[in-house]
Amino acid sequence: MKFIIDRFDGKKNYQQTYTVEKKDIEALTLLGTLLFIKQHQDITLNFTASCRMAICGACGVRVNGHAYLACDTKMTELFEEYKDADTFRISPLSNYTVISDLAVDWEPSIENLRKVKPGLVAKSEFSEKEGCRQNQEEYDRIVGQWDCILCGVCASECNKLSADRSDYMEPFVYTRAWKVANDSRTKDPMIHVKPTVTNGLWNCVHCHECTNRCPKHISAAEDIAGLRAMAMRKGLNSGVGPAHAKSFYTDLVEDSGRLNEIRLALRTEGMSTALRAAANKE
Amino acid sequence: MSEQFTRREFLQSACITMGALAVSTTGADKAFAATSTSTPNTSGMPSCDVLIIGSGAAGLRAAVAARKKNPNLSVVVVSKVMPTRSATTMAEGGINGVIDFSEGDSFELHAKDTVKGGDFLVDQDTALKFATYAGAAIHELDYLGMPFSRNAKGEVNKRYAGGASKIRCNFASDKTGHILTHTCLDDALKHGVKFLMDHHMLDLSIENGRCEGVVLRNIRTGDIAPVRAKSVVLATGGYTRVFWNRTSTPFIATGDGAAAVLRAGLVFKDPEMLQFHPTGVCHGGTLITEAARGEGGILLNNQGERFMKRYVPNKMELAPRDIVARSIETEIREGRAFGHDMEAYVLLDVTHLGKEKIMRDLPQIRHIGMLFENMDLVEKPIAIRPTAHYSMGGIHVTSIDTMATPAPGLYAAGEAACVSIHGANRLGGNSLCDATVTGKIAGTNAAEYAAKADFGAGKRLNDLTLKWTSHFKEITGSGKGNVNDMYALREELGAANWYNMGIFRTESKLLELADKHAEFQARYNAIRIPNANPVFNTAYTEYVELGNLLLASRAALMGATARKESRGSHYREDYLKRDDANFLDWKDVVVGQFKIEERKY
Repeated sequence: MKFIIDRFDGKKNYQQTYTVEKKDIEALTLLGTLLFIKQHQDITLNFTASCRMAICGACGVRVNGHAYLACDTKMTELFEEYKDADTFRISPLSNYTVISDLAVDWEPSIENLRKVKPGLVAKSEFSEKEGCRQNQEEYDRIVGQWDCILCGVCASECNKLSADRSDYMEPFVYTRAWKVANDSRTKDPMIHVKPTVTNGLWNCVHCHECTNRCPKHISAAEDIAGLRAMAMRKGLNSGVGPAHAKSFYTDLVEDSGRLNEIRLALRTEGMSTALRAAANKE
Repeated sequence: MSEQFTRREFLQSACITMGALAVSTTGADKAFAATSTSTPNTSGMPSCDVLIIGSGAAGLRAAVAARKKNPNLSVVVVSKVMPTRSATTMAEGGINGVIDFSEGDSFELHAKDTVKGGDFLVDQDTALKFATYAGAAIHELDYLGMPFSRNAKGEVNKRYAGGASKIRCNFASDKTGHILTHTCLDDALKHGVKFLMDHHMLDLSIENGRCEGVVLRNIRTGDIAPVRAKSVVLATGGYTRVFWNRTSTPFIATGDGAAAVLRAGLVFKDPEMLQFHPTGVCHGGTLITEAARGEGGILLNNQGERFMKRYVPNKMELAPRDIVARSIETEIREGRAFGHDMEAYVLLDVTHLGKEKIMRDLPQIRHIGMLFENMDLVEKPIAIRPTAHYSMGGIHVTSIDTMATPAPGLYAAGEAACVSIHGANRLGGNSLCDATVTGKIAGTNAAEYAAKADFGAGKRLNDLTLKWTSHFKEITGSGKGNVNDMYALREELGAANWYNMGIFRTESKLLELADKHAEFQARYNAIRIPNANPVFNTAYTEYVELGNLLLASRAALMGATARKESRGSHYREDYLKRDDANFLDWKDVVVGQFKIEERKY
C-alpha cells in the first residue's frame, strides 16, 4: 500500500510516495507507521513524537485531510474508516505554519495561550499555605477541559482558522480560558474571559469540527459557548456577536417563538454595516 | 461546481463573509501581541541571566521560581520539544506529600518511608527536608489551579502508593503528571516565562570550574550557537532510554543533561540506579500505573496463582517496585509466565474493581490497554512485564538547600539531578514532588546567583560551538550512510543493556556488556546520516541523543560493575546481600576519564 506524504524541506513543498507492505504496519498505530517509514525507508522524513501513549500531544498529523493524534490511531481504525483504501495521504496539521514535513510551529499557539492568562488566580479565602476547597460538582465542571493535551487537532479542523487566522485563536485556547474561568476557585473569571472577547471569541461559526475530532472528546465549541454566555452575563454584551445572540433570545424566548430573519441581520450588524455589506455584494 | 461545494467549503466561505462584516477591533490586540513575542532577539540565540534546559515540571517550576525571586532577570526555558511534551506528563498515579495529619502521618514518616524504600542509599537529612517541602508543595499546586481529585470534604484526595506506611499519594484522576505539567505551564505563562522551543542543548561549557553557558542547536534552522548565561539549570530528565524499547519513558528521555555533565568533567552520581517499574504493557513498555495496584489490582501467573504471596505476603502487590519487578521476572524465568523471550508476560487483573470504578479512577490505563494490547481491561486481565521507569542517578548536586552542582552557576533539578532523595529505589508518587520541589529550589538559587554574577569569558563556549558545527557537517555532509544503521544500533544497545544490566545483574554479564559498549561506540562513531539538510533534521537530533545514551550506558555499567552488592533496584545475583560496610558510603562515577570517586557529604 501507499502513503503519499506532504513534504517541506524548508524551501520547497513536494509530495513523496512511500510503498509499504500492509503486513508490516497493520498491527501498528499511525505513529508506528511513520516511525517504520523513517527508520526503514527515508531518514529525512521529519515529524514530532514523544510519549507514544496519547498524553503529550506531540504527534498530531492529518490523514486524508482530517487531523489525528498519530499514536492514538490504530491503522486498523484507518482501514475501517476509509473502507480499506490502499493509499493514504499524510499531511501536517492544517492552520499551522509548517517548519518541515509534518512538524509545525507551536510558538504562536503558546503566545495565544499567554493572551488568555491561563494561570489561576485563586479567591482570597484560599491561600498558598492551605490550598483550596472544591466539591465534586465544581470539580466535575472543569475536569473535562483539563484533559486537553495541546495536540492541535481541533485547530487543524477549524474552518474559521482556515478562512482567516488573523482574528481568531486555536479552539483549545478558548477551552483553556473556559477551564480556568469556570473554576470554582477562580477569583475573577473576567481576567480570562475578557482577552477571549478581544481575540475572536464571537468569530466561532459553530461548525463543531473541533468537537468531532478531539482525541480527548472535549468540545471547544461548547466551551466557546460557555465563554460567550459568561461574557454577556458579566456585561460584555455590545458588538455584533452579542447582538446576534440577543436577537435569537428576544424572538424565541420573549417574543413569538419564531425567529424574525428579516430583522435579524439589521439587529445583528446595525444599519450601517448591513448597508455596507449589501453594497459590497453588488 | 455547485454539487462539489462541500459543507466545509460552505462553512469557510461563511467565515470569510463574517470576517468582512465584523467591526475591526485589532488596534489594541496588535499592541498586546507585539509585547508577547517569546524569543528575546531575532538572531535566534540570546544570552540571558537564567537559562533553564528542559520544560517538564522541574524546568517550569524553576523558571517561575527564578522570575519570582528576581523579576528583573531574563529567564528563558530551552526545550528540544514543545513545553508540554515531557516525561512529567506521563506520570499517572499521584504526587506524595503529607497534608493530612489526622491518621498519624507526618513528614518524618514520609522521610522514613523514602529512606527505607531507597534501601538506605538516601541522604536522610535531605529526605526529611524533601518530605517537608513536598507537603507544602501540594497546597501550593492546589492554589495555582491544579485540579486534584477531591474527597467528600472538598480537600485534595489521596490514594495508597507502594512502599508507603500511610496514605499520602495525592492525585488528579490517573493523569496526575499531565495535570501537573499543564498547571506548571499555565503558571509559567502567568509569570511571563519565555520559551525557546525546538532548541537542543548539545553541550555545556565549564571554564575555570564555572558554568558559562551552553551550546544550542536551533532544530528549526540548524543553527548551532553559543548561549551565554549567568546561571544554568539542567532539568533535562532521565536516561532510561538506555533500554530503548523496554522503558515507559518518552523517546526524548535520553540523558542529554547527564551526558553533557560527563563531557564537561562533572560528577554523574549513582548512574547504575535505574528503576524498573513492575507493570509495563508487554508490547512497547508503556506504563500501567501503580495506581492499578493501589486501587486493588492483582498479579497472576500462568497457573492463575496470585504469586506475590510467595514473595512479600504482608504487602502483596503493594511491595516496593523493585521487589515486585524482580518477582515478576522470576516468574518469567522459572516458566510460570505466558509468552516467551522479550514477549513474555504475567497478568494484571483489575476486572473485579468493576467498570464504574475503572472508568472513574483509572480511565487512562484502560485506554493504554486498548491501544497497545488491543483489549479492554474492564473485561479481562492485561499482559504486563517490568519496564525501565526512572533514573535515580543523575547530575551530582551538593545539597537540597540550593540544588547547586559543584560548578558555580550550574544547577540541576528533577529526574536529571541526584541529590540522593531516592537512593537506590524511588517510591511511587515521589517523582512529581521531586520535580516540583527541587525545580523551585534550583530556580530560586539560580536567580540568586545570577543577580550577583557576571557572564563568563565564553572562550571555551566558542570552541565547543565550532566543534559541534563541524560535527554536524562531518556526520551529515558526506552523503554516505544507510537509513537503518543508527536505528539498528539503538535497538541493539537497548537489548544489550536490558539483558546484561537489567533487573538481574552479574559480573560476567556486565563484563560482556563492556565489550559490547566498546563495539557500539566504534560503530556509532563511524555512522553517517544521509541527510545534510540543516532544517529540522530530526535524524541528527536522534544521532546526538544516541551518543548521549551510549555515554550514560557506559557510566551506568561502571557503577553497576563496581557496586558489588545488591541494593534497591541494583540487583547483583553474584552479591545478593546489601553490603553496608563497603558500599553505604559509596562512590560516584566521574567524568570523561571514567573513574570512580568516593562519595563525600
